[in-house]
Amino acid sequence: MTIPVLICDDSSVARKQMARTLPDDWDIEISFAKHGEEALAAIKEGLGDILFLDLNMPVMDGYETLENIAKQNLPTMVIVVSGDIQPEAHKRVKDLGAIEFIKKPTSKEVLSELLEKFGLYRPTEGTAANTPPVEKTIVKGEIGQIEYRDCIQEIANVAMGQAADLLARLLNVFVKLPIPNVNLLEVSELEMALTQTESSATYSAVCQGFIGAGICGEALLIFSDSSFEDIAKLLKYKGELNRMVELELLMEVASILVGACTNGIAQQLDTSFSQGHPVVLGQHVKVSNLIKANSKRWKKTLAIEITYEIENYNISCDLLLLFTEDSIDNLNKRLSYLMD
Amino acid sequence: MSEPTIDIKEFHWLMEMLQTIDVGLVVLDKEHNINVWNSFMESHSGLTPLQTKDKNIFDLFEELPKDWLMHKTGSVFMLKNRSFMTWEQRPYLFKFKNNRPITGTEPFMYQNITISPLGSTDGSVNHVAIIIYDVTDIAANRNALEKANLELETLSRTDRLTQLNNRGYWEECLSKEFSRYQRYKTTCSVIMFDIDHFKKVNDTYGHQAGDEVIRLVSKVLTKNLRATDIAGRYGGEEFGVILGNTDAEAAMIFCERVREEIAALDVTYEGQLIKFTVSLGISQAVDSTPDYVTWLNQADQALYASKEGGRNQTNTFKH
Repeated sequence: MTIPVLICDDSSVARKQMARTLPDDWDIEISFAKHGEEALAAIKEGLGDILFLDLNMPVMDGYETLENIAKQNLPTMVIVVSGDIQPEAHKRVKDLGAIEFIKKPTSKEVLSELLEKFGLYRPTEGTAANTPPVEKTIVKGEIGQIEYRDCIQEIANVAMGQAADLLARLLNVFVKLPIPNVNLLEVSELEMALTQTESSATYSAVCQGFIGAGICGEALLIFSDSSFEDIAKLLKYKGELNRMVELELLMEVASILVGACTNGIAQQLDTSFSQGHPVVLGQHVKVSNLIKANSKRWKKTLAIEITYEIENYNISCDLLLLFTEDSIDNLNKRLSYLMD
Repeated sequence: MSEPTIDIKEFHWLMEMLQTIDVGLVVLDKEHNINVWNSFMESHSGLTPLQTKDKNIFDLFEELPKDWLMHKTGSVFMLKNRSFMTWEQRPYLFKFKNNRPITGTEPFMYQNITISPLGSTDGSVNHVAIIIYDVTDIAANRNALEKANLELETLSRTDRLTQLNNRGYWEECLSKEFSRYQRYKTTCSVIMFDIDHFKKVNDTYGHQAGDEVIRLVSKVLTKNLRATDIAGRYGGEEFGVILGNTDAEAAMIFCERVREEIAALDVTYEGQLIKFTVSLGISQAVDSTPDYVTWLNQADQALYASKEGGRNQTNTFKH
């Protein structure tokens, strides 16, 4: 019997990867949804007996989708597929009724094993080579045109999840993950993007260069100064919160987020980056004073912006990964495996 | 295909390279026992690899910030992620001497530190590498720059002859004091005073004698200042003082003390006795004072009244 399977993810790359990872000899019909609302509609049409669900999406995210499925008692089995690998995220989706949680990017082996475990799929007898793949029809929705930006966004998504997981473990908290913002910016736009934040607040920031495989750039971690009190609490720093302690906290969080994020990206690009030593850009300054961009040397930058927030604490920081203009070609080549 | 192998000769020069590289290299196990100690560490600490092998690092170096370092290595072991520390956070981890003991300006070596997880063949992390970079020159340059900037700042607001604040900076302070007054309504007064018949001193005894007189007046003034009072040389022989938390009456006491001390001074210049006096004017800030310029002008008017009244006296501006 043909099973209707629904893949819900805002990223076209992720939808495609997911569809490609499903067993070749599994008799299914595939539908796609770009966010939770589309997914709920598709389930009601009977297109999603099994739902592969992403967590971080616009319009309606994965958590809300799970809540709605439970509330409306919709007939579907949900397997969450996410880059958010914090144990707390795992626990929350299980509590909301998901039958399993798999981390992005997933593999054919992991997925078939899981589907077998739940009795949803049984591999056909004989070797895979002589089993003809079952024709899979796409019933609704589409993978969509895969653009270069989507690839970078998906890569950032996975890397950001790995970094958040480390931070969550260090601080013993739940880190709220956003959808990473990917843009090709002119220098002037970068300054604008940075100064959009509250003009009266002050910030502290560190930057760290990375380079490898013809790709280079800088990671910038920008902390709003109001965050330090809570971070100190979480890291159990006692005593007065002076400039030195703040610098200590800033470097600690920067080591983790920058290290894990750039490593995560390098891994997915099948390379590795050398990291320079972090440099303090400034403490207690206006955002506009942090970056005195060398506007003469470069015009454009590929910017990935990730805003990390910590649940129940007044902590927020911006991680900016800025790639130089001349890195973009090499980045493109390494991303081609995601695009074809 | 066989695994690439390193023969023993190659291994020897690889080790040699790690030994002689000009950064500190220490490998610690989970108990913080030393596994690797390269020659940079040996030279600077005076301890040989043999003396440090399998010894606990905190036993050998009691001055190490134990809690701090254990917190750092702990998170590297747990998260398998590199950790960075800069000299701005902590000038050094190991207290080593400056590499340039003669010409260097700093007594010790500033260090940047990286702690890296070292994966074993089975993927677990049982060791960390601590890498120590000598960044003394960078730190020394930065410190020298900050010191120079500070000196420049002081220079740019100090009067060379008297070491009092110069007119520009003093007026800046006056404007700030007035804003504070407008906001918090704290009592405050400003004083203007100058040396009587200063031109005659200059003409009779020469400019150097005049300079000496100005220096002595500043000295008396400085001696009578409280910590929060701000004095400045306003013009040639004109001075201004900002008195925070002081009403006109208290300012009068201050002025009279300065005036009497100056009148009592006996200045001998090249064998000649010079006597001189000062005239002073006070203005207390009040609700109707519109701005600091007017406030200062009122003190100037009171000073003019003292001149008119026969000099060597103090007057208060009547609002």
